[in-house]
Amino acid sequence: MASIVRPSLLRQACSAAPTARMLSTRASINASQRIAQPSFVRSAVPTPMKAAAFHASAKRAILPPGPQHVEGTANDPVPVPPAEPTHGSYHWTFERILAAGLIPLTVAPFAAGTQHPVLDATLCASLLIHSHIGFDSMVIDYIPKKRFPKSRALFTWGLRAGTVVVAIGLYEFETNDVGLTEAIKRVWTA
Amino acid sequence: MLAQTITQQSLRRMAIQRPLAMPMAKFASPAAIATNSQLMQTRPVATRNIKPEEGYKILVEQRKNRPVAPHLTIYKPQMTSIGSGLTRITGAVLSGGFYIFGAAYLAAPLVGWHLESASLAAAFGSLPVIAKVLIKSVAAFPFTYHCINGVRHLIWDMGKSFTNRQIQIGGWAAFGLSGISAVYLALAW
Amino acid sequence: MAALRSSTRLLASRSLFRTTVPVRSFASVNPIESVKEATSASRPPVNESKTSTVQEPSASPDARIKTFHVYRWNPDEPTSKPRMESYTLDLNKTGPMMLDALIRIKNEVDPTLTFRRSCREGICGSCAMNIDGVNTLACLCRIPTDTKQESRIYPLPHTYVVKDLVPDLTLFYKQYKSIKPYLQRSTPAPDGREYRMSREDRKKLDGLYECILCACCSTSCPSYWWNSEEYLGPAILLQSYRWIADARDEQTEQRKDALNNSMSLYRCHTILNCTRTCPKGLNPGLAIAEIKKSLSFS
Repeated sequence: MASIVRPSLLRQACSAAPTARMLSTRASINASQRIAQPSFVRSAVPTPMKAAAFHASAKRAILPPGPQHVEGTANDPVPVPPAEPTHGSYHWTFERILAAGLIPLTVAPFAAGTQHPVLDATLCASLLIHSHIGFDSMVIDYIPKKRFPKSRALFTWGLRAGTVVVAIGLYEFETNDVGLTEAIKRVWTA
Repeated sequence: MLAQTITQQSLRRMAIQRPLAMPMAKFASPAAIATNSQLMQTRPVATRNIKPEEGYKILVEQRKNRPVAPHLTIYKPQMTSIGSGLTRITGAVLSGGFYIFGAAYLAAPLVGWHLESASLAAAFGSLPVIAKVLIKSVAAFPFTYHCINGVRHLIWDMGKSFTNRQIQIGGWAAFGLSGISAVYLALAW
Repeated sequence: MAALRSSTRLLASRSLFRTTVPVRSFASVNPIESVKEATSASRPPVNESKTSTVQEPSASPDARIKTFHVYRWNPDEPTSKPRMESYTLDLNKTGPMMLDALIRIKNEVDPTLTFRRSCREGICGSCAMNIDGVNTLACLCRIPTDTKQESRIYPLPHTYVVKDLVPDLTLFYKQYKSIKPYLQRSTPAPDGREYRMSREDRKKLDGLYECILCACCSTSCPSYWWNSEEYLGPAILLQSYRWIADARDEQTEQRKDALNNSMSLYRCHTILNCTRTCPKGLNPGLAIAEIKKSLSFS
């Protein structure tokens, strides 16, 4: 390394106290500048950024991941899970077909009016299942089973219960009231 | 030639055998430092033998101390990640409202609320016009953005429109189109 | 060698450093010769008061000084928090790529800065890191010449840090091994020689085989950040598709079954950070879409 060839640099590198390493330093090629600065000079990163740099931002406190743990040795492959198409390809196919079906169902009330109960019921049911799949996806993404088994079970079953409750509520709304699209239209144009 | 060689070799042997006799010790040449035991650095180092399994245990302990490199706080906000995040957030907001309305409608008779369409329409109608337009545009944008980005997702699922350029243009188009349609829905309907 | 020993004794008895000692005419590393040179009367050594090794040369007036903030963490002080250190370099003396800047910092400013590097031409994938918020290879990332902007260099996001800019990629490699990245075929070739493929079949592998496994894409994917242990990530899925699409491979169904669960493949929500960030211009997002299509519709 060049520091061996240039003894001045080596001397300075050694004389920088070990505690100075704990603090942010400003190291530059122009060593005469460095001598002039006190050893506790903070880094050039501005203070608000420094505070935010390594903490999850205050708005979204995402839990930091646990310490690193490697299952087996570095040479073992990760285990291949057994094939479950109901949670894999069938789920995905159903989700996409439903989403594709939602497009004409959403356009129809704008085009054909809001007084069609069968269309309305189909839209409500599709919207409900689409919402359930979306929320379920978020639960699987953000609540890993291995780390939070109870919370994951709680949210999964809570979501299913919620979907059932909303289904009953929507059924009541369809039968007792004017229907979703008509209600939205009335409120919107009020 | 031979005399020169012999002389060189003799000088070298002398340097090795009697280093302090040579005045070259005065000069900090590499040969002088390397052969002079008074100048040589000694480092008392203790070594101990450990088996591979013990060494592996040390690695496992070291792994526990490692920090995780920053992610959300340092990654550049891009059309790809922001667009996708916004699709999810708008979907969650819309569905959340949907769920809350459905549950509230069921609970309304028990709690004494009035969530029939007639009362909702009357309550909304009584608000000042500016408030109505604002609320409508704020409510319409998540709906239009989620719908238009949903269409983009379905196009991607077909395997189309995956170049970086198409993703960028599509992203901006989705934003623009959903903004315009939200304003249209808020004002014209 | 009595002649040599006697000549040794002979020479030891009188002053050595006369100019009459013959000099070799060809170049060689000869310490005795250099010592002779230094001490001969014709070239006396420079007086100590006139030599100074403390003063560094001052920066030239047209120097382009740029500041780099680099993530640092030392495993030898494991309880210390990671921090940012800033270094300034004269861009006139530095090569054009970020890796040149890092090497220059290590050589001339702070030798303790630690990072991986090898080929310096964008083919080995060692120097993958997060530069100015984007995952890329340091050897392919040009230093922005605007000296008012300060560059920020971090290790690959959401990886465990071994030291400074070195990420731990053990899980990444274990996931790569799990997809069996080799040709699996039991029927011999029809003509008994190589397993052949047509030009059209070979074209299907373009954009897949060039992956250098630098891990830029996987560590740019928020889904991989939150679910590293179960979701395979775009790089591994791209390689998985490389073998699914290989016409010579016969275990296509088994490869597809290995991905047919809720986590390994389907945590991908088409965020497309991967395609955006690939330093080799590959398209992991498209490969994943093709895998999903082949699992559902074939």
